[in-house]
Amino acid sequence: MDFLEYWNAVDDELAAIPARPVLDLVPQRTDSAATTYAVRITSAGPYRVFGSLSIPVGDGPFPALLQVPRYGSVNNMAHPNDRSRYVVLTLMHRGQRLADEFFRAAYPGLLTLGIDDPSTYIYRGIAADCLRAAEFLLGLREVDPARVAVVGNELAILTAARRPAISAVRVSDLVLYRAMEARLWSSHYPLEELNDHLRSGSSAEVIGRTLSYFDPIRHAPAVTARTLVGVEDPGWYVPLVDALPAGEAYQVTHLDGTDADFYDAWLAGQVGVPAMSKFVR
Amino acid sequence: MRDVENATVEVARPDDFDEFWAAGLADCATYPLDPVLTEMPTLSTPLVVVYDVSYVSFGGLRVSGWYAVPRGGEAPYPGLVTIPGYISEPTIPKEWAELGYAALAVAPRGKLRSNAVFNPGYPGLLTNNIVDHNTYGYRGFYLDVVRAVDVLLERPEVDSSRIGLAGSSQGGGLGISTAALRPDVIKAVACGAPYLCGIMTAPTLTRSYPYEEINEYLRLHPKDVDRVRETVAYYDGLNFAPAVKAPTLIYLGLEDDVCPPETGFALHRVLTCPKTLRTYENCAHHAGLPGVMRVVEDFLADHLKPVI
Repeated sequence: MDFLEYWNAVDDELAAIPARPVLDLVPQRTDSAATTYAVRITSAGPYRVFGSLSIPVGDGPFPALLQVPRYGSVNNMAHPNDRSRYVVLTLMHRGQRLADEFFRAAYPGLLTLGIDDPSTYIYRGIAADCLRAAEFLLGLREVDPARVAVVGNELAILTAARRPAISAVRVSDLVLYRAMEARLWSSHYPLEELNDHLRSGSSAEVIGRTLSYFDPIRHAPAVTARTLVGVEDPGWYVPLVDALPAGEAYQVTHLDGTDADFYDAWLAGQVGVPAMSKFVR
Repeated sequence: MRDVENATVEVARPDDFDEFWAAGLADCATYPLDPVLTEMPTLSTPLVVVYDVSYVSFGGLRVSGWYAVPRGGEAPYPGLVTIPGYISEPTIPKEWAELGYAALAVAPRGKLRSNAVFNPGYPGLLTNNIVDHNTYGYRGFYLDVVRAVDVLLERPEVDSSRIGLAGSSQGGGLGISTAALRPDVIKAVACGAPYLCGIMTAPTLTRSYPYEEINEYLRLHPKDVDRVRETVAYYDGLNFAPAVKAPTLIYLGLEDDVCPPETGFALHRVLTCPKTLRTYENCAHHAGLPGVMRVVEDFLADHLKPVI
């Protein structure tokens, strides 16, 4: 199956499955600035995934922010600064905490689950979860559809590529970008999972083929949104930034207070809200 | 502007603080440690042997971890317990084994590999039974790290006179509590961006998680504030700190929105052991990463003497 067929099949599967969202108020996360809900929606599989949705108090529509899941069992809830400025949906993909009723992701282990075949690779479902979350967010009446952003790792690029209504993307800490090369550099997880899997008898050719469906560089040309890529080694990321039609690079300083403020201000500027630092000076 | 270095962070020390933790350790001692190690060939490398490890801890609950041992060098190796952050699952500590340590990455109760019995969820651990220090979710969690030290003490390839602790955030905070509860065993502590220090002050200085969980809890249960304060005093790193004997490295980001630097400075002030403080301007919760890792590695090597 070629790249477009593969992803069109994911979209077709999602289109055939109603999301059936259920929202439950979360009183402890609701204050004078925003109202927060626990959201459950159906994704491909079918699989019920979890999101934390917050909606600012006041007259909308508001800009919106989809926080795609990080690689790990837990995603922090959206910061109150973000909840006050955006409609925020923080997604827990299948297998993560709060979305693990029928499948529990293992760490290490998730990165290679089903990786020997693109059709069984767990990231097919995880990507579908992100796409379903984007659809849900874009459909909310409180959301200004012209100001919807997605932030996170390569799943943000993939989501924006498949859902062109998204207008801004901010990515950092990419895992699946040139992963077959990056796995050779150290024994650090999560990429070491690929080496572990190869030691168990798989082949680099097989898992490299699967990963090629998920490498953000292959999705980048379809991203119409303004996209900021946080880069540590600019040379390593040149192909990705160049492949993004409206891409730009931010050289990470490793002064993570400075970096966080830059990221916040960049996104705020894209959708027309004030910048806010998480560190109260 | 905040004066993060000189801000007052005070925690009342419960009169029965020492007795409370002695009781917890005594409970642990009633159970055989019963460590089970299973070699994991596909996770091992030419440089490192990896084991799945489990052992019995507080309340008789079995806790998991990953244990990585160098293939090179000559045993006995220094031992190192690595302690995970609040939202992190412990990764296999191959990189520490490659540096010459017999390294045990502990997954205290509630982490994925140790949550069959106790699973408060995330968010949730910080406020699990937070009105009762006897049943607070962190009680067993703290002791699970102490028991990981005990596992290393039983290993023939580990030099019991060279055992250290390393972690950041929750791993930093529990490094302090563990070093205080095993003061004659622990010989070095690397403590980054320490969490669980100044627990009631921190949520007044930040809205970031996990401390925001306390703000959320008190939003729903405002009348519980005194009981919450009473509970977390038993778990506050500032109350453990005076018992730490091991040389301790603390590293802080001066713009840390997760664990306010005021609380890290307060920890440094109350430590009476040999101590080193590194601070990083314009840094937040990474507290100088990745560059600070070289400082951490050098500090641990100075005190634990790995040979590879």
